Amino acid sequence: MASTTQLPTSPAAPPKPAATRRRTPQTGRSRPNILGGLGGWAWLAVIIVPVYYVVITSLKNQAGFFTSNPMLPPSEPTLDNYKLVLENDFAKYFANSLIVTLGSVIPALLVSFMAAYAIVRGRGKFLGLTNNIFLLGLAIPLHATIIPIYWMITKAHMYDTLLALILPSIAFAIPISVLILSNFLRDVPNELFESMRLDGCSDWAMLWRLALPMTKPAVITVGIYNALNVWNGFLFPLILTQSPDTRVLPLSLWTFQGEFSVNIPAVLASVVLATLPLLVVYVVARRQLLSGLTAGFSK
Amino acid sequence: MSTTTAATREQTSRREQPSRRTLEKGPSGWLAVPALAFFTLFAILPLLGVLFLSFTRWDGLGEIKLDGLSSWQTVLTDPVTGNALLVTAKIMFFSFVVQAPISLLLGVFTAASQKYRAALAVLYFVPLLLSSAAVAIAFKALLDPNFGLGPGLGLPFLAQDWLGNSDLVLFVVVFVIAWQFVPFHTLIYQGGVRQIPTSLYEAAQIDGAGRVQQFFNITLPQLKYTIITSSTLMVVGSLAYFDLVFVLTAGGPGYSTRLLPLHMYLTGFKANDMGAASALGVILVVIGLALALFLQRLGGKNRNASQLEGA
Amino acid sequence: MNNLKLRTAGMAVSAAVLSISLAACGSSGPAGTGASAGSATMWGLTGGDQPVFQASVDSWNKSHPDSSIKLDFFANDAYKTKVRTAVGAGQGPTLVYGWGGGVLKSYVDAGQVDDLTGFLKENPDVQSRYLPSILESGVIDGKTYALPNNKVQPVVLYYNKEVFDKIGAEAPKTWDDLMALVPKFKAAGVAPFSLGGQSKWPDLMWLEYLVDRIGGPEVFAKIAANKPDAWSDPAVIEALTKIQELVDAGGFINGFSSIAADSNADQALLYTGKAAMILQGSWIYQGMKKDAADFVKSGKLGYTPFPTIDGGKGNPANVVGNPSNFWSVSSKATEEQKKTALSYVKDGMFNDDNVKALIDSGAVPVVTGIEDKLAASPDKDFLTYVYGMAKDAPDFTLSWDQALSPAQGDAMLANLDQIFLKKITPEQFASAMNATIGK
Repeated sequence: MASTTQLPTSPAAPPKPAATRRRTPQTGRSRPNILGGLGGWAWLAVIIVPVYYVVITSLKNQAGFFTSNPMLPPSEPTLDNYKLVLENDFAKYFANSLIVTLGSVIPALLVSFMAAYAIVRGRGKFLGLTNNIFLLGLAIPLHATIIPIYWMITKAHMYDTLLALILPSIAFAIPISVLILSNFLRDVPNELFESMRLDGCSDWAMLWRLALPMTKPAVITVGIYNALNVWNGFLFPLILTQSPDTRVLPLSLWTFQGEFSVNIPAVLASVVLATLPLLVVYVVARRQLLSGLTAGFSK
Repeated sequence: MSTTTAATREQTSRREQPSRRTLEKGPSGWLAVPALAFFTLFAILPLLGVLFLSFTRWDGLGEIKLDGLSSWQTVLTDPVTGNALLVTAKIMFFSFVVQAPISLLLGVFTAASQKYRAALAVLYFVPLLLSSAAVAIAFKALLDPNFGLGPGLGLPFLAQDWLGNSDLVLFVVVFVIAWQFVPFHTLIYQGGVRQIPTSLYEAAQIDGAGRVQQFFNITLPQLKYTIITSSTLMVVGSLAYFDLVFVLTAGGPGYSTRLLPLHMYLTGFKANDMGAASALGVILVVIGLALALFLQRLGGKNRNASQLEGA
Repeated sequence: MNNLKLRTAGMAVSAAVLSISLAACGSSGPAGTGASAGSATMWGLTGGDQPVFQASVDSWNKSHPDSSIKLDFFANDAYKTKVRTAVGAGQGPTLVYGWGGGVLKSYVDAGQVDDLTGFLKENPDVQSRYLPSILESGVIDGKTYALPNNKVQPVVLYYNKEVFDKIGAEAPKTWDDLMALVPKFKAAGVAPFSLGGQSKWPDLMWLEYLVDRIGGPEVFAKIAANKPDAWSDPAVIEALTKIQELVDAGGFINGFSSIAADSNADQALLYTGKAAMILQGSWIYQGMKKDAADFVKSGKLGYTPFPTIDGGKGNPANVVGNPSNFWSVSSKATEEQKKTALSYVKDGMFNDDNVKALIDSGAVPVVTGIEDKLAASPDKDFLTYVYGMAKDAPDFTLSWDQALSPAQGDAMLANLDQIFLKKITPEQFASAMNATIGK
């Protein structure tokens, strides 16, 4: 998903929180859409077959992998591969991913929210310029700047620390977060701010007592979107970290692939394990996750 | 709800404000400073840095030395650069051609109210959860000519050397990219379709328009902006398919899938020519910027203008 | 006032965030520089030697709790990519694992590794334990920067005897023999050669041997010396042509360019009988001994030198491959770390246990006076064969991708990949490579 972070959203009109969005009931269609149905099931097959293959293979032992039919479930399923992956410091990589994700997303949300508030409510050349800089940031493939970032991180003696992943991740999350959050903030009726101001509230107070509660769904949504990007990010960990102590999950998959050599079932077990946490999140909070992904993109 | 109204409303309120007390000047610009500082430090400065480094010679180990245009000369005369551009363009084109119609149709399909479609949609979105590294590793195993899908289903035509055949591999990469990203675009279209007023369809049905007619006369025109958004994301996003291709093929066989970002990475961190890699980075930035501006223009100035004004 | 409360709350949140970030860096610490003083770091490669290094370091740490070593392992390709980045960041391990050659030279040029000449002078025992020719590979401009740390690694032509018996064939002695075997194996439904083409460096073994057999070691010596147009040597062109002829004849297994050597998939094809032969380093013996113990034990694994070529100038006893792997000492490490590292090199490495463990794993340590030990090993046939091959070779050419500069090495592997895929001609290869000379 890394690719989607830096993209310009064709400036979409303020999206509404998912909860208020109404489904369009395309009623009155009695005739079933056979062609559409077929296409739908066909795509399901395209999606499911690789997932199915990964899951059944991860339950095979190595000998079984070489001899059994690749598309049939194992006759004697085993969890040994999962044990092997878990014994190989999987928990540590998971913790690293968690630290990097939370450590990036929370500060990114904070500073983006403050900036979005200033941009929407304030005026002046400085804020206009700031906003334009962020809009520019959306159009640039920021990963092209990895070499200077590598240089800066090494000079700051942060190479091979989790902080080296967190700092650029915060920066890269800012443009899209500011854009989406400011779209939402614009929807907060001006009258509310006016009345709070009459009560003598400062902007700092309004920021936290009015703007934040009013846009909470948007903040959560943007947070989830960023979290997914950071969680699955690969380039920063690849270049800015080295040792197993700072390894995050996507990178651990890549290294497992080398370390387990021909043990493909174990490699695939690591894929399953790395995806499970997000799958749990998906099952629990599907709505939020999906609206998080589309935040700011759909009209 | 349109941005224009938001913008207008804001301007109205702005006009009223100056007469009030100083407090009402709006929030201090300082609120934007932390975000700007982060962004400047880790995005703007590196952006200038990559331009600077493209005029230097650096092997990643020793000193950085100014070296004039020699990195640019290396990059611009190297046939591999041209090839990387071509591969990038091809993947961009085919990804778009494959993903756009599928996502559009799936988006329309899943936006409808039938229960089974909603259930299918839940499964459609599963690939969104996987990291590119995970997707690449899964497909690498699945496409293995000896132990993968082909022999598993007993279908010899599926047991090709998918990742080793330089004529096929590009399409395999396009397919895997589609597998990973179609769900995302489906989601965008689904959201777009759901915002089309039902009344339009009801009116069309009264007029006796069929499903196909409705699709072309109502759905498509109504989705205009969604299509532009999604297409921009697809096209500009092609410049960032780094991790997936890196793990899946590492650019091979030969140079067949060596995309521009991958070429930059390999030049910098494998061949250790940071100067040339930086020049490639600059090219990448320029292309990204040009594409985004071009697509924005295509999307219509009005929307853009109102947006900027509102901001 | 409420305002104040909010402000406090805001600060509390920022403080929490900050502490997360701090915890983040505190939990790891820079790899090369920190940790307990005196604790050195070492990076090794996964695969055959992994248990040997692990055992050696474990026993060292047990007897030297005050100067312990922290050992991490990486897969080959991942290691090569990352170690340079880390060394460039001044945060490489205390002991840097390497191959000598051009990569070592670039570390030396950048002042990233220490001169060990003095250490060798002070410790003549260390110097004298190595096979002299191999010690030489760690020398740059007359100074020693890298000390051998494991085993000799000539490239060997392995074959599956069972498959050969099936069609009644013998191991090829000449290139013509080899070409004649191709259609026979194909008719029997077996791929003549396995090849880990995705990893690219196995392709290179073919070019290295062919060029040596055709033109002798001087051809590559010229290339390594950056002589203009050195790649256009007729021996290089002929070698590339022969490779393409073999590709055309269907000599390599279908899908060879998507087979990764790092995952040992290439050798798996040999012992599962899907391929009859493979040209690979002596180290894959260790892998097969582990993954296919029965196959190796029952004597089904055959090995032979690379075939000769009619009219070739090279001595058929010449070998290519890696004389050994090496430890260099990072100049960025602390004094204590360096001390620990060197005392490990002196006393922890190639002691009796370590030598025995290497031999038991199926490898030939790079030390003198081990003939008896090799002869006592269950793998004695292979080990004495490899030992003899390395010891008696008139010339032992270092793998080209390691001997050349990283930029040239990378371009060479990518272009050679194109040769195997028949995307370019030998002449195009030569001109593309001539353009990289001096880089």
